[in-house]
Amino acid sequence: MTSLPTTLLLLQSSNLSMRRQTFSTALRPWFWAWVVMLAVNGLAAPAADLKLEALLIWGTNEQTSPDANHKPVGPKLKKKLEELPLKWTHYFEVKRIQFDVPLSNARKVPLSEKCELEVKNLGHSKIEVTLFGKGKQVATRTQELSKEDTLILGGNAPGATSWFVVLRRPE
Amino acid sequence: MDYDAQLKLQAYLDGELPEAEAREVANWLAQDREAIALFAELRNTRQALVGLEVGVTLPESREFFWSKIEREIRRQEQLGPPARSVPFFSAWRRWLVPAGAVAAAALAVLVGLSGGSGVSLVETAVADPAAFTYHDFSTGTTLVWFSYPADDELADNTPAATVQ
Repeated sequence: MTSLPTTLLLLQSSNLSMRRQTFSTALRPWFWAWVVMLAVNGLAAPAADLKLEALLIWGTNEQTSPDANHKPVGPKLKKKLEELPLKWTHYFEVKRIQFDVPLSNARKVPLSEKCELEVKNLGHSKIEVTLFGKGKQVATRTQELSKEDTLILGGNAPGATSWFVVLRRPE
Repeated sequence: MDYDAQLKLQAYLDGELPEAEAREVANWLAQDREAIALFAELRNTRQALVGLEVGVTLPESREFFWSKIEREIRRQEQLGPPARSVPFFSAWRRWLVPAGAVAAAALAVLVGLSGGSGVSLVETAVADPAAFTYHDFSTGTTLVWFSYPADDELADNTPAATVQ
């Protein structure tokens, strides 16, 4: 029969072993989650082509457009425009172009005779947008454009109206 | 000198008195040293204020300016009351282990996806002093507004009937 101190030592040793096992069991799911994340990370490669959609929009307070080719913007874009602090009540789609931009390449998108857009795909949803007006560079902007994001460039147009260039990811 | 007399002097300086009353005040000024002193002081004050009245112009429209203030007020109103304080060790036990694991996983993803070049900036500003940017974080919308005159419009497809 073992002495009392030896028994205590054995019990303590057994407890320690159990604690180690419990700790190991608790961390196991986290370890496997980490391994899975690493695997996904390794497989995740940036998309080669970035699909984009550019729209030329005309903003006015008139209910209808004199140009029959103009149609009111869709409900989603209309809601976004209405939530911006703009004073116009009606927005009409003048032109819509869908295009792809390969990784590290730029693509020029003519929206009108005066307005042209150049979009460069910097990878990981990041783009560089350059707006040209009458052939001259107006502005350049670099930002991420995720599927939920919308970039709107705008300015005044004659007759207290406005122009907008909307850039977004097509649905 | 009573208050009404002072007001009349101020009105005379501002050219608000009828001709008859203005003539009376002019006569009064010719005889009263106190009135002359006050009139000189009022005139000097007005000239000093005129020099200071420099118009303040905003780089953005009035609607944009007030909308930003309104949105900020709404955002702060939507924030709830401060969270009830909990003992430090309870919070530590509850959050640190999963938070550490999530942070490690997120870091691994970020490092991998960025190709080791570090996390890039979300955006850069437009290099154009005549443009300003407005963000609506709730809808993910970014508006870049160019404050050019309407003659410089870019959209030539606007209907001819609207062209001035």
